[in-house]
Amino acid sequence: MDDKYSSNVISGGKLGRVEVPNARLTRYIVLLLLTKLLKALGIFESYDLLKVVHVVQFLFILKLGCAVILLFFQKPFSSGKMVAKRQWIRILKHAVISSVISLLGFFGLTLCGPLRTLLLFEHSDLVVISLLSVLFTNSGGGPSKTRGAAFFIIAVVCLLLFDNDDLMAKMAEHPEGHHDSALTHALYTGISFLGVADHKGGVVLLVLALCLKVAFHTHSRKLSVEIGGAKRLYALSNLVSSVVLLPWVIVLSSTTESKVESWSSLALPFALIVFSVMVLDFYVESICTAKLEALRCARYGSACLFLSGLLLANFWTHPLTDQLRAMSKSGQQASTEHVLSGGVLVSACFFVMADSILSSPSEKGQKGTLVGYSPEGMPLYNLMGDALQHSSQSLPRFIKDSLKQILEEYDSRQIFYFLCLNLAFTFVELFYGVWTNSLGLISDGFHMLFDCSALVLGLFAALMTRWKATRIYSYGYGRVEILSGFINGLFLMVIAFFVFVESVSRLIDPPNINTVMLAPVSVGGLLVNLVGICAFSHAHSHGASKGSCSSHEHGHSHHGHGTGEHSHTHGHSHGGHSHSHGHGHSHSPGGRSMNANMRGVFLHVLADTMGSVGVIISTVLISQFGWLIADPICSLFIATLIFLSVIPLLKDACEVLLLRTPPEQEKDLNFALEKVQKIEGVLSYRDPHFWRHSASVIAGTIHLQIMSDVVEQRVIQQVTAVLKDAGVNNLTVQVEKEAYFQHMSGLSTGFHEVLAMTQQMESMKYYKDGTCIM
Amino acid sequence: MVAVDVINFKDSDTTIHRKKQETDTYVLGTIHPFRKTHKSILGKFIQEFNLVSSDRRSWKILLFGVLNVICTACLLTWCNSTNSMALTAYTYLTIFDLFSLITCLISSWVSMKKPSQVFSFGFDRFEVLSVFASTVLVQLGALFILKESVERFMEQPEVHTGRLLVGTFVALFFNLLTLLSVKNKPFVYVSEAASTSWLQEHVADLSRSLCGIIPALSSFLLPRMNPFVLINLAGAFALGITYMLIEINNYNAVDTASAMAIALMTFGTMYPMSVYSGKVLLQTTPSHVIGQLDKLLREVSTLDGVLEVRNEHFWTIGFGALAGSVHVRIRRDANEQMVLAHVTNRLHTLVSTLTVQIFKDDWSRPLLVSSVLPAGTHSLSDYIGPSGFLGPSPPPEFSFNTPGRNIQPVVLSSTQQHRPYSLGLAYGSSPYAGMLGQGVGLGMGARMPSVQGYRTSFSAAPQRYGSNPLPSQMNQYRP
Repeated sequence: MDDKYSSNVISGGKLGRVEVPNARLTRYIVLLLLTKLLKALGIFESYDLLKVVHVVQFLFILKLGCAVILLFFQKPFSSGKMVAKRQWIRILKHAVISSVISLLGFFGLTLCGPLRTLLLFEHSDLVVISLLSVLFTNSGGGPSKTRGAAFFIIAVVCLLLFDNDDLMAKMAEHPEGHHDSALTHALYTGISFLGVADHKGGVVLLVLALCLKVAFHTHSRKLSVEIGGAKRLYALSNLVSSVVLLPWVIVLSSTTESKVESWSSLALPFALIVFSVMVLDFYVESICTAKLEALRCARYGSACLFLSGLLLANFWTHPLTDQLRAMSKSGQQASTEHVLSGGVLVSACFFVMADSILSSPSEKGQKGTLVGYSPEGMPLYNLMGDALQHSSQSLPRFIKDSLKQILEEYDSRQIFYFLCLNLAFTFVELFYGVWTNSLGLISDGFHMLFDCSALVLGLFAALMTRWKATRIYSYGYGRVEILSGFINGLFLMVIAFFVFVESVSRLIDPPNINTVMLAPVSVGGLLVNLVGICAFSHAHSHGASKGSCSSHEHGHSHHGHGTGEHSHTHGHSHGGHSHSHGHGHSHSPGGRSMNANMRGVFLHVLADTMGSVGVIISTVLISQFGWLIADPICSLFIATLIFLSVIPLLKDACEVLLLRTPPEQEKDLNFALEKVQKIEGVLSYRDPHFWRHSASVIAGTIHLQIMSDVVEQRVIQQVTAVLKDAGVNNLTVQVEKEAYFQHMSGLSTGFHEVLAMTQQMESMKYYKDGTCIM
Repeated sequence: MVAVDVINFKDSDTTIHRKKQETDTYVLGTIHPFRKTHKSILGKFIQEFNLVSSDRRSWKILLFGVLNVICTACLLTWCNSTNSMALTAYTYLTIFDLFSLITCLISSWVSMKKPSQVFSFGFDRFEVLSVFASTVLVQLGALFILKESVERFMEQPEVHTGRLLVGTFVALFFNLLTLLSVKNKPFVYVSEAASTSWLQEHVADLSRSLCGIIPALSSFLLPRMNPFVLINLAGAFALGITYMLIEINNYNAVDTASAMAIALMTFGTMYPMSVYSGKVLLQTTPSHVIGQLDKLLREVSTLDGVLEVRNEHFWTIGFGALAGSVHVRIRRDANEQMVLAHVTNRLHTLVSTLTVQIFKDDWSRPLLVSSVLPAGTHSLSDYIGPSGFLGPSPPPEFSFNTPGRNIQPVVLSSTQQHRPYSLGLAYGSSPYAGMLGQGVGLGMGARMPSVQGYRTSFSAAPQRYGSNPLPSQMNQYRP
C-alpha cells in the first residue's frame, strides 16, 4: 500500500515544494523553542507584575522599553527613506489599534491568568485564518481541517464550561469600586453585563482580542511594505504608541496612588518582559518565518508555548521557583492563583492538537474534477470549472433577491410574514425570559424556535417550487412541495409522539405546575397564531379544501405542561380536510391544486394555536379547581388529535410520492382509456402509467398498438386530447405498429425479448380479430 | 421446441388474460364506482402481513423486531431513571433500527408484489419511501434532542450513572447484532450509493493517516465504513466518556454535550441517505447516469431522420431501475416505426421502462412518399426472412398466426444461433437503401449518406446477440 502511494508522483511530494533537510534547520527550531519558553516565562512574570502595576502603566513601560531598544537596533530615522506625513498618520492609527489590542490582551491576562492567556491568545495568524476559513467558507480544505476547527472550538468551550477556576471566588469578593480606572471599570461592567463569571468573561475577551489581532496583522501588512519593512514599522509604531499612552499614564499616576513600593525593584522584571515578550519574540519569529516555512514555525512555536505554559503553571507557585520570581509575594496569595484544573489540561491538549492540524499544510490546494488518465496512467484534473463556478453573489444581494422572490407569490409571502411575526414573538419572549431570569419563558421560547423550523422548511419549499426545471429535476421542482408536506407531516407525528410520551409519564405522576407566567405567554402565543390561522386558512381553503368548502374546523386543545416554570405548548387540531373524492369534482384538469406544503404549515399553526388555547384552559382549571390531572389528560387528547389530523396529509403525500394513479382522477382516466381504445385504428394499449408529479402536473405514459394503415400523428393527437380531458397534462404516447415489432426483433437481441415481442404481436392479432368480429 | 411452445402459450395466455381482466375492471369501474375497495385498512394490512410472514426469511426479521421493541422499552425506562439526555439520543438509534427492520419487511413484501392497476410502476417505491421516512424521523428526533439539550444547558439536572453504562452496552450490542445479522437490502444499498457522511469522511481521513504509520491495518481501515456501525460505535464512545467524567468529576454538563454530539452525528449519518432517497422520490435523474444518458441521447439524435430530442425525463422507480419518457421530433418523410425501433433499441439498454413519442411537424400536409411507406413494410419481410423467401406470401419470421414457429432454429441449435439474423442483417442495409432509392426519389440525395447510422448498428447487433444485456443488467439492485 505504501509503495503504491509513494509511486504516485503528486502525492509523493516530488512535485510539491522542495523541503530543506531538517539538519540545517535544527538551530532555528531550537532558537524558536527557547524564545517561546522565555516568552511563556515573561507572560507569567507580567501576570505577577500586573497585580501591582496598572495595565496602562504596564503597557506604557513595555512599549517605551521596546521602542528604545528597537530605536537602538533598527535606527528607523537614520536609515531608509523619509516617512511622509500621510504615513505618519497611518502609523498613528496603527499604534493606537495595536495598543488597544495589547490592552485587551493584558486585561484578559489579569482576568484569566497566564496559562489560559497563553492558550487563548498566542495563536499564530495562520492558525486563526485557517480556522476562520473552515468556519465561514466551504472550501476549508478537507475533513482534517474541519476536525482541527472542531478541536479548537471544543478547547474554547472546555475553558468556558469545565474550568472550575479557583479564582472565581476571589473575583466574586472583588468590590465594584475597587477598579483602578475608568477603562477597567468599563470592561468589568461590560463583562458582568454579559452575565458570565469574570474569568469566563476573560476567555471571551481574549478570543475577541485574538480575532482582532489577526485582522490587524493582515491589515497592517500593506503599511509595513510602504514604510519599509515590518521591523521599522514595529519600532515606529511602538514609539508612537508610547507617546500616545504617555498623557493617560500621567493622568493616572497623578490621580491614583500607586501600589508599588519601589519602582527600582521592578526594573529587572520589566527588562525581562520587554526583552522576552516584545523584542526577542518579534525578531526570532521573523527570522524563523524566513528560514523555516511559516506553517512549521507556527506549529512548533505554539506547541512549545503551550507546553512550557503548562510546565510553568505547574511549578510557578512551587517554592523552588520563588527564587526565579522577581516578585515574591506573601504566601496567602498563592491559594487563589489560577491553578491547573482538569478542564484546562483537556483544553490545552485540544489546543495543541488543533494548532498542529490547522497549521499543517493542506493536502490539496484546489479541488479539481477528474478528467481522465494520461497515457502514463497519471490522473488528470480539471481545475477550471470550479474556479468559474465560484462567482458567488454578495450576501446583501442574495438576501435582497430571495426576499423579492419570497414576496412575489402569495403562499411564500404568507409564510414569510407569519414566520417574521413568530420569530419576533419568540425573541421578545426569549429576551424577556433572560431579563427576568425566568427559565420557563426561555424554554418556551426555544420550543417556539423548534416549531419555527417547520415554517422555515415550508418557506424554503415554497421558494424552491418555483425554480426552473434543470437537467436533473427534469419535471421542475414542483414535487419539492409535496416532499416538504410529507416531512412536515412526519414532524407533527414526532411532536405528537413526544407529547404522548410526556403526558403518559405525567399521568402517572402529575407534577405541580406554577401557573404564574403561563397565562400571559399563552395569550400572546394565541394571538400570534390566530393571525397565522387567518392568513393560512385563506390559502388553505384556496388550496386544500377540495370542492367542499372547508367546512368545520374542529380544533382542539392543547397541552401545557411544566415542571416548575416550564410550559411547553403544543397543540393540534383537525383541519377541515374533508375529502370528498369523486363527489362532483369538476372535470377540468388543474381546477384545484393540492398544495401539501401549505397544508403542512397550516396544520402546524393550528396545532400551536390550540396549544395556546389549551394552556389557557388548563391554567384556569388548575388555578381555580386545582385539577392537576387536567394537564396530562389534555396533552393526551392533543397528541391523539395531532396524530389523527396528520394522517390524511401523510396519506395524500405518500400516494403522490409512490407514483400512485391519482385517486381523484382514477375514474376519468378509466373513461379516457376506454375512449382511447375506441379511437379508430387503435388495437390495444399497454403499460398505462399515470401519476401526479406535483400539484399542477399529472404525467402519463402509454404505449398504443395501432393498425398499419393509420397515421400515427393523428392517433397521438386524438389520444393526447382525450387524456388531456382526463387531466393528464404531461403525456408521452408511444405508437407502435406491426412494423415496429419487426424492426425490434431485427435489431434486438436476446431470446426473451423476441418472445416478448411475439407475444405483443400475438395480442395485437387477438384484438384485431376481436375488433373484426365486433 | 415443445417446451418453447408451451412456455410461449402459457405466457401469452396470461398476458391476454390479464388484459381481459383489466378491461373487465375498467368496465366494472364505470358501473360500480366503489367496487370492493372498501375492505377495512386493518383487514388489508393483515392480509399483506400474512403474505409477508409466509416467507421463512421474514420470521427472523419479525423476531428481531420483537426483541427490538423490548429492548427499546427497557432503554426508555432507563433513560427516565438515569435522566440522561445522551442515553436518550442513543436510544433513538435503537428506534431507528426498528424502522430499518420495518423497511426490511416492506422490501420483502415489495419483492412479492406485482404491479397493480393503481400502482402501475410496481411497489418498489414503498422501499424508498420507507427509507426516507425512517431517516427523516430519526433526524427529527435528533432535532428534538438538540432542542432539549439547549434547554438543559440553562439548568443542568443531575444525571444518575447507575444504569448509564449498562444501557449503553445493551444498546450497542443489540444494535450491532441487528445490523450484522439481518440482511437489510434497502439500507445497505442506500448507504453505499449515497455520498459519504462527514463522520465517515473523518474516520476515513484518520484511518488513512493511521495506515501511513501502520500499513498492515489498511485492508481493515481503508474500505468505506458502514455508517450505521460507525455511528453506533461513536455514540457508545461518547457515552463512555460521559460516564467516566460524571463518575470522576461530576461534570453533569458532559451528558448534555455528548447528547448534542450524538444528535449531530445522527444528522451527519442520516442526511446523505435522506438526500439520496429524497431525490429518488422527487423523480430526479440520478447524477451518476447522466453521462451515459447524454451519450445515448447524442447517439439517438444522430440517427437518420431525427431532428431533435426533447422533453426527456429519466428517473429511477425504486433503487436502481430507470424509467423514462422522451419526445423525438423527426423529419416529415422519415419512417416513424423505424426511428422508434432504433431509439428504443438504443435507450433500452439503460432505461428499462421507456416510452418514446415520435413527433412530426405538419404531418397532416400530404407528403410525397406517404403512399410508398406501406410498401416499405412489405419489403421489410424480405430482409428479415431467410434468403430463400420472396414476397409477402411466405410467412415472415414473426407472422401473426404462428407465433414462435420460425424461432425454433434460434432456440434449439446453438451452432445456427445467429444465422437468420446475421444473414438478414447482411442483407439488411441493401434492401433499405434499395427501398429508399426506389421509394423516395426526391429526398434521396439527402438521405443516402445518413443510412450509415443504421448500418453501424446492424454490424454491432450480432456481437451482442445472446449476451442478453437487457434490463437485468441495468437492474443492479435486484439480482
